Amino acid sequence: MAPLRSLELEFPLVDSNFQQFCASHGILSVEDFLIHDLYLLVGSAEHETTSDRLKQGIAQVLSILDGLHQPWLSGMELLEDAQQNKHILSTGCEGINVLLQGGLREGQVTELVGPSPSGKTQVCLLAASNIAKNYGGAVIFIDTGNSFSAKRIAEHVGKISDTAFKEPESQILEKIMSSILCHSVFDVFDLLSLLHQLESNLRSQMKTGSNRVLLVVVDSVSSLISPVLGSSGPYGRALMVSVGYLLKKLADENNIAVLVTNHTVGGEGGIPKPALGESWKGIPHVRLLLSRDCKSNNFNVSILKHPSMASGKTAKFVIYE
Amino acid sequence: MEVSSSKSYSVGARTAWDMFHEDDFFTRITTSCADMDNMLGGGINCKEITEIGGVPGIGKTQLGIQLAVNVQIPLDYGGLGGKAIYIDTEGSFMPERALQIAQACIEDIETNGFYRKDFHVNMEPTSFLENIFYFRVCSYTEQIALINYLDKFISDHQDVKVVIVDSVTFHFRQDFDDLARRTRVLGGMALKLMKLAKQFSLAVVLLNQVTMKYTEGSFQLTLALGDSWSHACTNRIILYWNGNERYAYIDKSPSLPSASAPYSVTAKGIRNSASNCKRVKMM
Repeated sequence: MAPLRSLELEFPLVDSNFQQFCASHGILSVEDFLIHDLYLLVGSAEHETTSDRLKQGIAQVLSILDGLHQPWLSGMELLEDAQQNKHILSTGCEGINVLLQGGLREGQVTELVGPSPSGKTQVCLLAASNIAKNYGGAVIFIDTGNSFSAKRIAEHVGKISDTAFKEPESQILEKIMSSILCHSVFDVFDLLSLLHQLESNLRSQMKTGSNRVLLVVVDSVSSLISPVLGSSGPYGRALMVSVGYLLKKLADENNIAVLVTNHTVGGEGGIPKPALGESWKGIPHVRLLLSRDCKSNNFNVSILKHPSMASGKTAKFVIYE
Repeated sequence: MEVSSSKSYSVGARTAWDMFHEDDFFTRITTSCADMDNMLGGGINCKEITEIGGVPGIGKTQLGIQLAVNVQIPLDYGGLGGKAIYIDTEGSFMPERALQIAQACIEDIETNGFYRKDFHVNMEPTSFLENIFYFRVCSYTEQIALINYLDKFISDHQDVKVVIVDSVTFHFRQDFDDLARRTRVLGGMALKLMKLAKQFSLAVVLLNQVTMKYTEGSFQLTLALGDSWSHACTNRIILYWNGNERYAYIDKSPSLPSASAPYSVTAKGIRNSASNCKRVKMM
């Protein structure tokens, strides 16, 4: 927790006199401040010579803390937010759209689970092309397995060609493909710092406008987390939950849809189950299980978890060459 | 204006458009078998991990040696002109065989009519062997230590264009009591190899063995090292027998359709299958 003296630069009221006064009550960090009985503190400040300034200092720290927590929202405000800001983005794949009643929802984390190969990366590439093309938004693709294929994106974009455009085709292609950004990340720590950086970049940018980020894809989050998960101690799980929390926060605050992929491991009786365990189960809002009919282009998708639909619903889709 | 504003979202990212055009510049490593090259869109791709698995005797090591030789084909002849790192865990690398394959490769280049009189580079089979850096590892700790060390090694030898591990499975199959730990270690190793491939723009080829797995009520042949490992590679090729012929099949790829191609192992190395039907089968 931050020590009180780190506030001194920005807030001159928290000067060394104030810090000394707090230290005499055993308050050295912001956390101590939160735990301490404030009435007692104000009361003892009265007895000091610089009592006014000390009381101003206490009020200052309290207002800093106030600004840091999430605002309270009523149910009506949440509903308004959901209807106006959290749109549904089509994935470009009819089967999945029908299953999800429209597509990916902004503000939600959707997870694709499946053995290898089951089309997870293909669905991610298709969704990225579709959203860049039809909604004109930016897409951030975080790739952990060097499986981002620009060629495939070009194929998908080329297929959804629109004759209403007057510009020549290659210019359209360039515009669309320039709004898909690909990062290669090989480390869970790199991922965390990338997400933090993205968070602060987005906060300082305008939220409206045609080129705002609409979709963030992490393919695959499990390959980054599996190496740190499971060793003695909760270290790995803490990292996993931090990643999940950051993704959800990004999605909600910036009205972005987040798509992550996960692989399967052997469960009881030889039936595969999603990797990353029980702690990860609650993190994504929507979980879809993908599988592939042997050596063909037909895929099956079923709902494992959804906030507003029954699990177990299935659909089929085809991915073309 | 729009392009620059979207780039400011994150430093260090590249847009799909840039990557689309870069792909054209990266030559692929040919396998010397035209059918397999066609199936792979030209050959083994750089910046990716390709896993090749199959039953013993199908030709994995042969393919590994062939790739270690083919990466050295000079740029003028459509190769990468690079060097190779061969990590041997089973002791199956034979220098005599590599010499034989290198000799056949040089002969092929010469007979194809592209040979120029003013070609200064020495194309002797022994010089091909000099450009293969060979490491022999005898335990999994050595394997992990070596892969950690590769970063520094490749920074010093920037012309390495392919890293072949034959086989990646061997030391992880026996004596590993804690399977969860094995998964973690393998996952970490895969990430390091991915990073190497991306950072130095080289191809990583991992040769894998097969095992029996109980799925859907019966025993089936699958690649070893489990489900979590199957996600660690970018591409996966499975080599199998079909009657008397050897076939290669793409099991996983982000940009190639599923297809299979026949090939054969000859004295010259990997070559096209000698049968009459030479068409690539699209699945």
